[in-house]
Amino acid sequence: MPYDDPEGDDPHELVGVVLPGDETSTREMARAFAEEFVQLGWSRGQILGLFHDPAYTGAHGAREALGAEEIGRIVDEAVHLFGGFHVTVTEPASPTKPTAPNRRSLRVLQ
Amino acid sequence: MPNVKNWQLGREMSYPYEAKYPSRQFAFVFNINRCIACQTCTMACKSTWTFSKGQEHMWWANVETKPYGGYPQFWDVKILERLEAANPAGQVWSGDVSESPEQPYGQFDGQTIFEAGQKTLSPDSARVLGYLPSDEEWNSPNIYEDNPVGGRGVRDQLHKSGEQLPIHKTWFFYLARICNHCSYPACLAACPRKAIYKRPEDGIVLLDQKECRGYRKCVEACPYKKAMYRGNTRVSEKCIACYPRVEGTDPESDGDPMETRCMASCVGQIRMQGLVKIDSDGSWAEDRQHPLYYLVHVAKVALPLYPQLGTQPNGYYIPPRWVPRPYLRQMFGPGVDRAIERYANPDRELLAVLQLFRRSNKIIFRYEFQEGPKVYERQVGERKVTIYNDTVIAYGREGQELFRTSIEEPVHVRPDVHANSI
Repeated sequence: MPYDDPEGDDPHELVGVVLPGDETSTREMARAFAEEFVQLGWSRGQILGLFHDPAYTGAHGAREALGAEEIGRIVDEAVHLFGGFHVTVTEPASPTKPTAPNRRSLRVLQ
Repeated sequence: MPNVKNWQLGREMSYPYEAKYPSRQFAFVFNINRCIACQTCTMACKSTWTFSKGQEHMWWANVETKPYGGYPQFWDVKILERLEAANPAGQVWSGDVSESPEQPYGQFDGQTIFEAGQKTLSPDSARVLGYLPSDEEWNSPNIYEDNPVGGRGVRDQLHKSGEQLPIHKTWFFYLARICNHCSYPACLAACPRKAIYKRPEDGIVLLDQKECRGYRKCVEACPYKKAMYRGNTRVSEKCIACYPRVEGTDPESDGDPMETRCMASCVGQIRMQGLVKIDSDGSWAEDRQHPLYYLVHVAKVALPLYPQLGTQPNGYYIPPRWVPRPYLRQMFGPGVDRAIERYANPDRELLAVLQLFRRSNKIIFRYEFQEGPKVYERQVGERKVTIYNDTVIAYGREGQELFRTSIEEPVHVRPDVHANSI
């Protein structure tokens, strides 16, 4: 962590460039994360936790930019759209180790 | 230099060696829309292959935050800058995207790193346009990717809203990267010792450490910067695609080909890896029921990373749907708009194939899609979601069923003792 002025040729010094980033793309990113993770079987609380955790900067940044209420609305919408079914994966019993077929449910029920 | 066919560029290109192709090729698809940069893949690789002294700076698998991040820092900006300097304003694509497997993304009219190298480098032994990253660029993966430099003199104080430093005010996405095990590897082309080779059975690119003398030509040439030099052994090293797992010789694999460590550990389930059939001309042989063939050549939602560099990489990405298109077109080529349109409005088969991601650690060689009845419909505003109880069945190398998925309505069974509560 540098505390002094960087040298002119310091490769760690980022040259500022304005990138097109607006509310629309931030909202779309938040929506993409919410929908993808609902489809993976995450619960509302788990997804809100992802947005709350500053370690996940993309999701957290969206929460900072749009507000917790708006993120809650986006997550609720994703849960409403994709949260009412669950995908079940069935693996056949192993011929070498005879067991019953292994069924895994991928959605935590709301 | 001989000419070889590069289907990603829609044309032939020069390459230092005659074309030679494996019967199957190690390939993978990463769905960026799901990646949250948890770095579990990074640590799975690190703890398996690069945990020793002298390998501290090596991250064969890494996840970097775009647009600011890169490991080594600025790797893509630097090679794109060099190509632009070699061929000013000429790095462009022509023609339209098409359904043809010959020119799916149109034609690249600019120069690849091999072609630009021929024109700009001397002596003749220099075959590939590249550069050697500095130690600083290797040493600090992820630094300042998410956070710009913070306030001077404020030591270790947490930001009021939780983060230590302010965050960049722009869009983000996370780019997970490993060696692309390219069809025309730049590392292999540049090695004066011929220490790098591509395996005929699976196209995995390996570096023979007995032959390597540490000239670092591979480090300089690989545009993705996935060949790395190890100071204490004075030879270079690179991702080996966890080949014992892919071969099925790893004890854990039980004889069946298994996906790599970074794939198997993926929390966001963004990854699928396989072995695709290759034609005698280097293009993918038609294999309609192979999930990777479907994603790359049928649905065309998965695109190569910087195809214009010319190495024909075998890593493919489903681009993030929220990022400005010009940035994505530079990174994944002209197929971006079609890929996002199809991914955002998936048909039933694409939805089914997406269910194959990370349901098993065994490599899928074929899938079957069976249509089922409509089971679910919901709507928010104009957006309507309809789900069918379609089944997708995955098969392994010997044709054995690996797993199948189906859709179920949630059912809650109340326990006897609490009959009045859920």
